[in-house]
Amino acid sequence: MPDWNTIVRERLGPLRLTAIAESDLTEEIAQHLEDHYRELCGAGASEEQACQKTLAELDDMYALRAALERSQRMTKYDAVPVGDVRPGNFMQDLWRDLRYAVRTMRKTPVFTAVAALTLALGIGANTAVFTIINTLLLNPLPVEKISGLAALNTNLTKKAAQSGDLQAISFLNLKDFRERTRAFGSVAGHSSPMAITMIDKVEPHRVFMELVTSNYFNTLGIHPFLGRFFLPDEDAKPGAGAVVVLGYAAWQSRFGGASDILGRTIKLNNIPFTVVGIGPKGFKGLYAVFGPDLWIPSMMAEQILPAEQRKALSDRAMPLFTGIGRLGAGVSLAKSQAEMKIVAAALEKEYPDANQGQSVTVRPLTEAAYGPERQPLLFGGALLVAIAGFVLLIACSNVANLLLARAAVRRQEIAVRIALGAGRRRLIRQLLTESVLLGLLSGVLGFLFGYGGCWVLSSLRPAEYAQNLADLRIDPAVFGFAFVVAILTGLIFGIVPALRSSRMSVSEVLKEETRIVGRSRGRLSLANTLLASQVAVSLVLLVVAALFLRSLQHEYTIDPGYQTKQLALFMLYPGQAGYDRTRTEQFYKQARDRVAAAPGIASVSWASNLPLWSRKETGVVIEGQAQRKKSEAISTVVNTVDLNYFPTLGIPLLEGRDFTQEDRDISIPVAIINDTMAAEYWPKQDPLGKRLQLPGSKEFLQIVGIAKTANYQTLGEPPQPCVYIPLRQNFSDGMILYVRSARNPSTILAAVQSEIHNIDPGLPLEDFRTGTKVIDQALWWSKIGVSLLGVFGLLALGLASVGLYGIMAYSVNQRRREIGVRMAMGAGQGSVSLLVLRQGIAVVLSGVAMGVGLAFLLGRALSRFLYGVSGSDLLSIGSASLVLLVVALVACYLPARSASRVDPLVALREG
Amino acid sequence: MISTPPDPEWKKGSAELLVLSLLEDQPRHGYDISKLIQIRSGGALQFHVTSLYPLLHRLEEEGAIQGRWVEKAEQRRRRYYSLTPLGRKVLREKQKSWKDFVAVISRLTGIENA
Repeated sequence: MPDWNTIVRERLGPLRLTAIAESDLTEEIAQHLEDHYRELCGAGASEEQACQKTLAELDDMYALRAALERSQRMTKYDAVPVGDVRPGNFMQDLWRDLRYAVRTMRKTPVFTAVAALTLALGIGANTAVFTIINTLLLNPLPVEKISGLAALNTNLTKKAAQSGDLQAISFLNLKDFRERTRAFGSVAGHSSPMAITMIDKVEPHRVFMELVTSNYFNTLGIHPFLGRFFLPDEDAKPGAGAVVVLGYAAWQSRFGGASDILGRTIKLNNIPFTVVGIGPKGFKGLYAVFGPDLWIPSMMAEQILPAEQRKALSDRAMPLFTGIGRLGAGVSLAKSQAEMKIVAAALEKEYPDANQGQSVTVRPLTEAAYGPERQPLLFGGALLVAIAGFVLLIACSNVANLLLARAAVRRQEIAVRIALGAGRRRLIRQLLTESVLLGLLSGVLGFLFGYGGCWVLSSLRPAEYAQNLADLRIDPAVFGFAFVVAILTGLIFGIVPALRSSRMSVSEVLKEETRIVGRSRGRLSLANTLLASQVAVSLVLLVVAALFLRSLQHEYTIDPGYQTKQLALFMLYPGQAGYDRTRTEQFYKQARDRVAAAPGIASVSWASNLPLWSRKETGVVIEGQAQRKKSEAISTVVNTVDLNYFPTLGIPLLEGRDFTQEDRDISIPVAIINDTMAAEYWPKQDPLGKRLQLPGSKEFLQIVGIAKTANYQTLGEPPQPCVYIPLRQNFSDGMILYVRSARNPSTILAAVQSEIHNIDPGLPLEDFRTGTKVIDQALWWSKIGVSLLGVFGLLALGLASVGLYGIMAYSVNQRRREIGVRMAMGAGQGSVSLLVLRQGIAVVLSGVAMGVGLAFLLGRALSRFLYGVSGSDLLSIGSASLVLLVVALVACYLPARSASRVDPLVALREG
Repeated sequence: MISTPPDPEWKKGSAELLVLSLLEDQPRHGYDISKLIQIRSGGALQFHVTSLYPLLHRLEEEGAIQGRWVEKAEQRRRRYYSLTPLGRKVLREKQKSWKDFVAVISRLTGIENA
């Protein structure tokens, strides 16, 4: 007779029943089958037939499986089966490990939540930072084969100007480069984004445009989202094509993505243009940070540009374009650079007046995409990556500490497994699966945090330029990054605890009862080292944040050389509204008089330069001094100003006089210089009455006054020479109205607007700001940087203190018995608290000592990016240390207090 | 004898009623129960072990029946199931609802008058 017991047990095996259920069911069914078999045999069936018929009873195991109650199935099935040392199937093992890991996580929800949140903060910070880096530095331009594109700029061969100062190329030079090159398959050109006035229906708006050559888009290899780009004909003759390509973002925001946009007429600087196409989604020109709203053919320069730039197409000395070249097949950047140098040298010889001392620089487009902000961007990016990395490291070491603490709880379990023959590798693998799974869970959370962080960052962009600024892109690369970081994190924080657990001495652990005797010095010392490093890194981050905060504070106290508290500015471009010179001059006078008469206004003036946005002009000639070579030419800031400019801005006149009503077209041309210029070019002389000539002008200006030097380009810049010329002798069709109010300048904004509107409702008045806002905007990057640093510093502090608290609480728990003995022997609550506190503070102090050392080193490296603060600023380091110590003290005090409340009786009984 | 085997769905619905009815007068073991069902239905109803034992275990879990291992000399021990007071109550309810059900079906389909 067959062994029914064995047969049934084999069939039931895969169902994984609990031991009792399996043995009961096996016995019952075996008995049943045996009865059935005997009966069949008794009825005359052969043994074989009887056996077959009986076995048929077991055919439908699925029914059994489905019908069995959950309670009879095994819920706790070991991931590393008892005595299972076979290599096993990889996928099967992985599946088991995963299921076991999920169960372990569900069993300890608090641990899982704390660990996952800790890691998620670290991963989120890194995802956000990576998104910024990815958007701005890694993949900024959605163009075809970016490696084959190069940017061409003029550079000065003699270092007259600041080194690395690259300039634009004049239209005629660009044309010659295009015609003479062989290295480049095509050469296109684009201007930088320039403000113009767009009138869609009635309302005028300020938008940014770029002039581009007709082959610009083809050279980049991009395709329109709608319609077409420019045809060669539209860019063949000056004024030939009044057509415009709108950027995708501008189409969406200004025109609501209207589908009938093609063929529509819009007025740009009062000239009707026809919309022929929409640029590709995500393309905002070639500058990584700031882009235009629309593109116009280069041949429209004369019509669209302000009066002083109208000759851009015919004047070889007027730089306007950045060249974009697509390298020919097999041509290297170096080769193209060599060729362009030769062409530039030839052009210098042919047109010495315009090109003397100039050559051309060829750079990869990716490098040119950042303009002059490249250095700070790269530095900021590197700093952010480093800091976010540190935050992640803190999070990892925190979770490693948590895992180490938990490993103690699981020592017995793991020891039993090893004793039963589970392989160490297999164990490590299983423990790592758990940590990687935790990492992945945190990765998902972290990705969401990062997404949220990017959203917050995006909303911090200044609203008036938001659509011109780069969009933070969450793309597959970002997702991939978060995924990889999550897995790596899991491996990093999981590997040490896993290795330690698998290396334990089995017999010793098994001899121990559930409560471990004393404390395991090795484990705590590793934990303490991790903690001290966390404290050190948090301190460094706090110090860096404090340093930059102090630097920003100092930047705010910089005196720009003019008052800002009661100042408001209004940018007005009557030329762009189609005004001729007479009408513009009338408007300037009318606006000045009417605004000055409005209530609450102290004084009013016009000036051509926006504070901190001045451009320099090169080639000033001083009468009576030897002719300078072009490469050593004097560069100065030139500002066209109206009457009352100096009192309105509060710039003191040191000598001579202010401009007056008498300084008109028919009187002697005059200028006021600043004291820096006076000291530099008329040392030990009185410049009053001396004469100078501005670049591009034929007449000499007589110096009638000396004003105090102010900041013209950046806050806290080194003193620069500046020449002021009177508006009434130097016409400009776009000026800025400076208003000094008697009270808070924001109270007069509406009044000024309505005065301007009353004069002409067709003039756009979107750009107005208060003096303090000008300073705010100049410090925008610094502020964003400081906020990010502050957030990261606080994040690090929070994580480190949670880690500190966790490990102290764990250590107190481990030492309950010892504390109990001490208290039973008469130790007071205070001395027990002190004992625990001392242990924690020792760790914190060693971390602080390390951190201070590191902060001094890092501070030295950072000092050149700080303003008015030394890298080893004691106040920053001291206050950061103090904050950290206070927080750490609280984190240690709570476990210490709970230690002092240990009931000796309970603790000893438990032991 | 019936000429066609009953619909398997009916069997599923009535399995509990059958088992409980068979245990009404005396405790029985699994093989005994399956044998009785087969014999009394003239072979039309059969329960394989793979569905019978899970059913018994479930009824036991629900408290309708109680299993007990009984050892007899010279024999393997067997597990006998007996009806609990709760099981008796459940049986009454099931019998009543079955009767009602059959009556309704008969009335609706006119089987009675056929």
